[in-house]
Amino acid sequence: MRRVAVILAILVRSALRGMQSSAVASGIAVATIAIALLLIGAFALVVVNMQGLLDRFGQDLQITAYLEEGLSKAEQSLLAERVSTVEVVGRVRLISKQQALERFRATRGGAALLEGLEGNPLPASLDISLLSERRTPEGLGILNKALDGLPGIAEVAHGQEWIEGYARAASLARVSGYALGAVLALATLLIVSNTIRLGLYAREDELEILALVGASRTFVRAPFLLEGTLQGAIGGVLALGVLWAGFHLLVPQLQYGLAFFLGNTEPRFFAVAESLKLISGGAGLGLLGSLAALMAWRS
Amino acid sequence: MYHVSKAYVAGAFALQDVSLDVSRGEFVFLTGASGAGKTTLLQLLFAAERPSEGQIVVLGRNIARLRGSAVPALRRRVGVVFQDFKLLRQRTVEENVGVTLDVVGMPRREVRAKVFTMLKQVGLQHRRYHHPVSLSGGEQQRVAIARALVGEPEILLADEPTGNLDPDLSVEIMDLMMSAAMRGTAVLVATHDVGLIERYHKRKLHLDAGRLVEDGPAAGRTE
Ligand SMILES: Nc1ncnc2c1ncn2[C@@H]1O[C@H](COP(=O)(O)OP(=O)(O)O)[C@@H](O)[C@H]1O
Ligand SMILES: [Mg+2]
Repeated sequence: MRRVAVILAILVRSALRGMQSSAVASGIAVATIAIALLLIGAFALVVVNMQGLLDRFGQDLQITAYLEEGLSKAEQSLLAERVSTVEVVGRVRLISKQQALERFRATRGGAALLEGLEGNPLPASLDISLLSERRTPEGLGILNKALDGLPGIAEVAHGQEWIEGYARAASLARVSGYALGAVLALATLLIVSNTIRLGLYAREDELEILALVGASRTFVRAPFLLEGTLQGAIGGVLALGVLWAGFHLLVPQLQYGLAFFLGNTEPRFFAVAESLKLISGGAGLGLLGSLAALMAWRS
Repeated sequence: MYHVSKAYVAGAFALQDVSLDVSRGEFVFLTGASGAGKTTLLQLLFAAERPSEGQIVVLGRNIARLRGSAVPALRRRVGVVFQDFKLLRQRTVEENVGVTLDVVGMPRREVRAKVFTMLKQVGLQHRRYHHPVSLSGGEQQRVAIARALVGEPEILLADEPTGNLDPDLSVEIMDLMMSAAMRGTAVLVATHDVGLIERYHKRKLHLDAGRLVEDGPAAGRTE
């Protein structure tokens, strides 16, 4: 155990020395990783916020299906019954014409509007709420389809027709984020593996000497893996820092534009776990890049 | 070493049909003109090169058939003084000598203590924070010797270890290697310094154009 710790310390020192001795190349590698992760992170931030809104949207989702005039009480109950059998539906409440009228009267200015009107102009309706786990744009779609096929329903309103388009935009952002991420990750891999390879060549003599005095393959190679990983992690931290600063500088400026995208939900930055993912993503890219360089290099 | 040949280029033998046996604690000179194959012979012994023919048993292991992953373990038991020193240019003298111990995972404090003692023996303790480039040829050579000896190897291979030393220092370094042999290390010193060989009456292996032409005079067993 002690021996492992000692060797680990030596390897870390050697990795740091490696970065020091090729400071410019290492700096470029770190900067590249930081820029790539910055772009990926910015995309992720947009997606996370859009997704957050989508997640919240269900909570106050209320669907109202207005019934045609002239249905009997029994027919109305039957309709309510049938709607409640739709797989995504949690609860259905039948609101009769009379109840609708009373409700409207209770609203501000409602009584005044109804003054002078003869009879009851309001239709009966079904108040529908979805099962909590189905309060998604998809769940809403399923309900809409089911209601379409039911005779006796005049009109459906949920006041959030925009949500499907929004969900599409969010998934488009996510998909293009993945595509961009893949391209940037590949570019980063190339840059890191190139940096590490240059380091390997620059220190070839040293590595040969280490091998001649009995250093194992791991002892010779591990510092380069560490170096790549470290470069990646530093790049990740930098990217996160810039994103954080940018987020706090830009969000107040863009209040109105953001309100358009996010409604009245507050834009949020990455949580700790998400931030760590970005950093370890950088570290992972660095590790892979240096692994690729070592595999291409034989001695 | 049994009937060992080595050809870097097919047909051109750097060593041809060499057989010899060196015991623990034995001190052996390896002599011969430049190009006779001294360096090649030493390199075979720590698996820096593989024999083209024949078998080589070092510390109970057959080098001809040694797996690549077993090479580091062997080299940790063999100290080598290279003809061109092979010092790490970016590291201090202290670090250069210390690598031998670093690779086996010895704690830093212990490494520093041992390195200091070793450097004192070669008279370079005051140079321990210098880099090899700022040292003279002779000083670099002594660093190389210190690195080879600090791990208390079972075998010491030295390729022209006194080539850059003035006579006084040569004697000191030779004494150092002799005392290693006294402690049980098998020591092989390649040299063409006739004076040196004559001063010490030790077993002498003479190579000529890759062939072992003389093995004597001290009590050596030949096969
Ligand atoms: N790496 C090599 N590649 C090809 N030929 C070599 C190599 N090393 C040594 N030789 C040849 O092998 C012969 C013996 O060389 P060497 O062992 O260095 O002799 P010495 O150390 O006695 O001067 C020489 O002819 C030399 O040219
Ligand atoms: Mg030679």
